[in-house]
Amino acid sequence: MTSGPAGLVLKVKPLICPNCGGTIVLRSFGQTVNAICGSCQTVLDATTPSLAVLQNFPKRARVVPKIPLGSRGQWHGAPYEVIGFQVREITSGGELYHWGEYLLYNPYRGYRYLTEYEGHWNDVKTIRATPEMISASVVRYNNADHKIFQQSVARTVFVLGEFPWQLRVGDPVTVRDYIRPPVMISSEATGGEINWSLGEYVSGAAVWQAFQLKDQPPQVKGIFANQPSPYDGKIGSIWKTFAWLLALLFLTMAGMAVASRNEMVFDQKYAFDSARSGEASFVTPVFDLKGHASAVEVEVETDLHNDWAGFNFALINDDTGTAYDFGKEVSYYNGSDSDGSWSEGSSKASLTVPSVPAGRYYLRVEPEMDSKSGATMFNSEAMHYEIKVKRDAPSLVFFVVAFFLLFIPPIYVTIKSFKFEGQRWAESDFAPVSSSYSSGDDD
Amino acid sequence: MIRNPIYSVYGLLLLLTAGYAEYSGWSLTRVNEVKNVPRSVRDNPGAYRSVYSGYSHYSGGK
Repeated sequence: MTSGPAGLVLKVKPLICPNCGGTIVLRSFGQTVNAICGSCQTVLDATTPSLAVLQNFPKRARVVPKIPLGSRGQWHGAPYEVIGFQVREITSGGELYHWGEYLLYNPYRGYRYLTEYEGHWNDVKTIRATPEMISASVVRYNNADHKIFQQSVARTVFVLGEFPWQLRVGDPVTVRDYIRPPVMISSEATGGEINWSLGEYVSGAAVWQAFQLKDQPPQVKGIFANQPSPYDGKIGSIWKTFAWLLALLFLTMAGMAVASRNEMVFDQKYAFDSARSGEASFVTPVFDLKGHASAVEVEVETDLHNDWAGFNFALINDDTGTAYDFGKEVSYYNGSDSDGSWSEGSSKASLTVPSVPAGRYYLRVEPEMDSKSGATMFNSEAMHYEIKVKRDAPSLVFFVVAFFLLFIPPIYVTIKSFKFEGQRWAESDFAPVSSSYSSGDDD
Repeated sequence: MIRNPIYSVYGLLLLLTAGYAEYSGWSLTRVNEVKNVPRSVRDNPGAYRSVYSGYSHYSGGK
């Protein structure tokens, strides 16, 4: 008799394997149905005093459990001991998949299981209530629907320790797994009997901590059937936040548009004849730009038709001599051909000079045109144009940029969530045809 | 917004930046700033040459 953690008293009875003479230790003596010799893996009948041999193997590869048999740990607030281990396999899509199942025992609480597949762990307990079959692919348990993920025939290929049921290596059992991450409901059907169990995804770190195991838990590979999505519940929440921010953006944008000065400070019409020689540049009268440093919009509107004109501007501060140089080309062409009528360009253009401090300014304007321009040569008509200068005109371009930047995080989370679910269901025999599966979003 | 503090802060910073940019008159347009332009430009505009003078022009439609 040994004393376990937290007052757990365990009866340990050493027995001799009738096959190899090795020592067999029974930890749940009295409830053990089958015991497996740790030396030769012979399956023994623990209900008979002589330990009758039920199954033996001439030569078998030994699998080392990741949690050693006899390990004790606090699990669900109670001490449990690992008393059995089995490796099971299924064939799916022509490939063999193996996973390990650890049988935990507490004399007062009974049995639990830990299953492990490529670093993914599940804490499993049997359930007595039969889940309600809602459809061929959905079962309901505890008022929650679970979708079928996999159906397969599983076989035990390796066993160690002791088990409270009849266990034979190679016996088939039909397994159906239904998921609602992090929960998995499983049924195991054999010989007309169906056993249901409920598994909950747990981290390897939690298992390692509970059983105080050395080293690190096995590295997680891929995405497991009932692995909770890190994006679970985040999609609805982040889109709600997006809606709030979008509303704020529109409010701010509207407020800025209303509050902007948008003051016309200069408006004058001119004409330009490229056929005339002489200096084309000129300066406008001085105009005042008031208020805080803000944008100045210079707009030029022409009567160009199938022609172009270039405008070189300098917005010059009459007091400080600081000039803002910029140029703008205006071109407008239209016509018709075999494809129908067409047009290209525009007869007007505008340009925004950023952050211009208050002061007295004038524009130096230098229009340019091709001297062989058709409009001026044949019609002898000058180009007429109008220059308008607006102070603090709302551009809102940065709000448009902000609008698109606001989209990035929710779109990123949504794509990542769908990708995660896609990877999960890629392993399923019952993957949704479209992306209509639930992302597990409860918002 | 409380459930997404990082995104909320990111969004509010974007709004503040956009608002400040709008208030300050930022623009995506590039202009060339020249200091100490002589006052004589007002009397003789041809004496000042914009850096944009003589740049290539589009010269035809379809």
